[in-house]
Amino acid sequence: MNKLPLLFLGVFLTFASSWIGLVAYPYLALGHMQPLPDEETGGSFPPGNSGLAVAGQRVYAANGCLYCHSQQVRLEPLSTDIEKGLGPRQTVARDYLRAQPVFLGTMRTGPDLSNIGARQPDANWHHRHLYEPRTVTDWSIMPSFRFLYKMRKIQGQQSDDALKDLVGPHAPPPGWEVVPNEEAKALVAYLVSLKRNYPLPESPEPPAK
Amino acid sequence: MTPTDEGPKENESDIARIHGAILREHAEPRDGYEPIPLWLVGLFFGIMFWAGLYLAYFSGGFRADVFNPSETAWAGGGVPQPVGPVDPKLAGKRVFTRNCVVCHQTTGLGVVGQFPPLAGSEWVLGHDWHGDNHLVKILLKGLQGPVQIKGATFNNAMPTWAQLSDEQIASVLTYIRSQWGNAAPPISPDYVKKIRGRTADRTEPWTQKDLQAIPPEKLPVAGAEGDSSPATPQSDSKI
Amino acid sequence: MKPHSLISSFHPANEPDTLASHERAEIDASTRFPVLLFFGSAIFWLLVGSLLGLVSAWKMTHPAMLDQMAWTTFGRLRPAHLNTVIYGWASASGIGVGLWLMARLCRIPLIHSKLLISAAIFWNIGVLVGVLGILAGDSRSIEWLELPGYATPILFIAYACIGVWAIIMFRYRRPGHVYVSQWYLFAAFLWFPWLYATANILLIWEPIQGSAQGAVNWWFAHNVLGLWFTPIGLASAYYMIPKVIGRPIHSYYLSILGFWSLALFYSWNGMHHLIGGPFPAWMISASVVASVMMFIPVVTVAINHHMTMRGHFDALKWSPTLRFTVFGAMSYTLASLQGMTMAIPSLNTLTHFTDYTIGHAHLGLYAFFTMAMFGAMYYIVPRLTGREWASAAAIRWHFWLVATGILLMIGSLFLGGVLEGLAQYDPRVSFKTSLDYVTPFRWLRGISGFLLLAGHLVFTALFALMVLKLGRRKDGPTLFAVPTGGNPGASAV
Repeated sequence: MNKLPLLFLGVFLTFASSWIGLVAYPYLALGHMQPLPDEETGGSFPPGNSGLAVAGQRVYAANGCLYCHSQQVRLEPLSTDIEKGLGPRQTVARDYLRAQPVFLGTMRTGPDLSNIGARQPDANWHHRHLYEPRTVTDWSIMPSFRFLYKMRKIQGQQSDDALKDLVGPHAPPPGWEVVPNEEAKALVAYLVSLKRNYPLPESPEPPAK
Repeated sequence: MTPTDEGPKENESDIARIHGAILREHAEPRDGYEPIPLWLVGLFFGIMFWAGLYLAYFSGGFRADVFNPSETAWAGGGVPQPVGPVDPKLAGKRVFTRNCVVCHQTTGLGVVGQFPPLAGSEWVLGHDWHGDNHLVKILLKGLQGPVQIKGATFNNAMPTWAQLSDEQIASVLTYIRSQWGNAAPPISPDYVKKIRGRTADRTEPWTQKDLQAIPPEKLPVAGAEGDSSPATPQSDSKI
Repeated sequence: MKPHSLISSFHPANEPDTLASHERAEIDASTRFPVLLFFGSAIFWLLVGSLLGLVSAWKMTHPAMLDQMAWTTFGRLRPAHLNTVIYGWASASGIGVGLWLMARLCRIPLIHSKLLISAAIFWNIGVLVGVLGILAGDSRSIEWLELPGYATPILFIAYACIGVWAIIMFRYRRPGHVYVSQWYLFAAFLWFPWLYATANILLIWEPIQGSAQGAVNWWFAHNVLGLWFTPIGLASAYYMIPKVIGRPIHSYYLSILGFWSLALFYSWNGMHHLIGGPFPAWMISASVVASVMMFIPVVTVAINHHMTMRGHFDALKWSPTLRFTVFGAMSYTLASLQGMTMAIPSLNTLTHFTDYTIGHAHLGLYAFFTMAMFGAMYYIVPRLTGREWASAAAIRWHFWLVATGILLMIGSLFLGGVLEGLAQYDPRVSFKTSLDYVTPFRWLRGISGFLLLAGHLVFTALFALMVLKLGRRKDGPTLFAVPTGGNPGASAV
């Protein structure tokens, strides 16, 4: 192989083949998908998110949640995701239309979060868990995100968004409260919005066991 | 010979110093010309054959809307349709998954000490003092205070689901009555509508005691959609 | 440097061998500053990356460690580690080795060295700004592409200088046979910018929507491994092995087959990181097929290297270059065969989402690429500094510390990962139980991090001594042992 142009052509064409198959094709086939209308409520599948939840995606990205948590529900027999209750059906391309970036994840150091909003709809639970995970699940290895919260003296009466039922070494002493800062509120709004349990024709629900 | 940045004298001594390591080197690498072993070629063709078979079986017809590699043909049509009228049982399952699973769980077993089970529950099946009307009433107004289910006591608060439509309430109750080994008659949307009308004035959630005071109603079995007249006369004057 | 006069052609100093050596010496002298700059940068980032990796590893078993600040949360330290070792250590050392190999194999002194020096400076600035950005909270959270948008153009400019240089060098090469390492290097230097540009445009500047992002993301990440690092590592092995033992590469035909089958199949592997994921089934199946087809280039290269080494394995006893390089080349074969098995869906069931994947990643990037780079550096640096390595004992420490460290790391991650996967597959087993199975192995992995860091510190010290001209001045290379006699090329390292 002594000719530069020949080498270049081969290098280019082999590269172009995968570029067409794994880059151009998904861009064309999946990149222009639209949400489907929801006839029952007038909304759409996937449902739109509040502005706070969209901002929460930035916080999720900045703090690297995806390095421990995936967001994909897979089918049997490849996995037992559905049987374990991670979701009622396989997640498909349309489920991620509103995600930016798409947090598919490749590790489950912690549980999958595709439907965490359905499993744990209570915002205060999420705040307590982010603030100090081991007060909610004592064997958890999730790091604490208390740097997203402020501990301050109660002015008059407790703030509306103060965290309730905090225990453990970082619980506020009497007369003090812990409030989420804007990032924590956005992150929890995002987590609570994570539900992929609406129906999609391309992802039929397997018969219940 | 391309000139270097350094002057000729430094260049010489530089090169002389480096010489030591380089002088003892072998010549630059060169190629030998042994042929490719035949068994390797055979192996390659074997792998390519396997590859072809794999792609034929597990590519879902090379369609963009087939996400399950085990599906070789999908009868759903080319363009995904908006969700149309569906099997009532599937509709019930959807309502359940979106609203009830968080407490009662996908298994219908609830959470010990916190959320009551639905599987095998006398409340759902209509055993003992429980009637179809009680079940519908719970969904419409909620339930609070201590309750006994399958011998265990629960003391939690179930919210009202009156915001769901009659069809949705009927379908989810029908669903829970036919899941997890449960077998009890379906509930019709008309019946839900009737109970909703009857209980329109009540604002408080029910307690077990309240419900026990109301005589149970059991509907006729099997698909009598339009027939919502109860088998026993009603006496709901205490609502 | 041809002799000019008839008389000089008979002068003893103008032996043909000496002339060839003069040429090589000139080439080496021309590469000195850029290559040492890249090597020095790479080693700096290796230390930083090792430290970041060590802290991240221990945070998994001690989550309360350093959890007070946003800058040190695991979700930021981990991508900082990844980007430091990929773009800081691995890319910079790969570029340094690639430059030297290109100059030697094209048989012309390095031209436009100022272009390369600018590239090195920009590259370092880009990595520094990018990693600090990740720690500050600007990570993109797109795996292998976390560097914030203000750092990537800097890297791109740096890279463009290198790519242009590579094409020019290749164009002005001395005519004659083009050796296999040159094909790999030429291809790698072209593939990387095409990959990097596509990924940046479609994922960051004008992001495509939906799960298509996952496809482009993993096409990119896998190809950085397969079309950037692997070719450079193989180019180095293809040079060092025959060079040190003084034998030709076993088969030119196997080289051709290996190169083109790698080019064709490797780039289709990306989706095997997403088996079961939200993608059209055919894309996942295509990647599974391509992953198994990788058997062809991997076995081809393994046969080529093995048959070249046959009869000369005793050289591993005394040559540091060869020991590190062959460790790397064998790890390449193992990592690729392992990767093939992981891509098969029924086995992927057990390994996906577990620590097993992390073990595999380190088998590839460390046991193969990093060890091959160490081997190359042990060969190249004496030729650029005019000194020999200060201490054979220190090289021995380096080797055993990192070899033990990496074997401990990957062993513990593989075992722990499989147990984790088995537990996670069973729906009756709680998440806590899977954690209980894998935690002891994470402790072992954490310990391995100390061994690796120690090895890197030894290597840094050796390198620093060389650059500061404090290496040995004696004739003869620094070897592990006295080479076995009777072999005329035995000390030719």
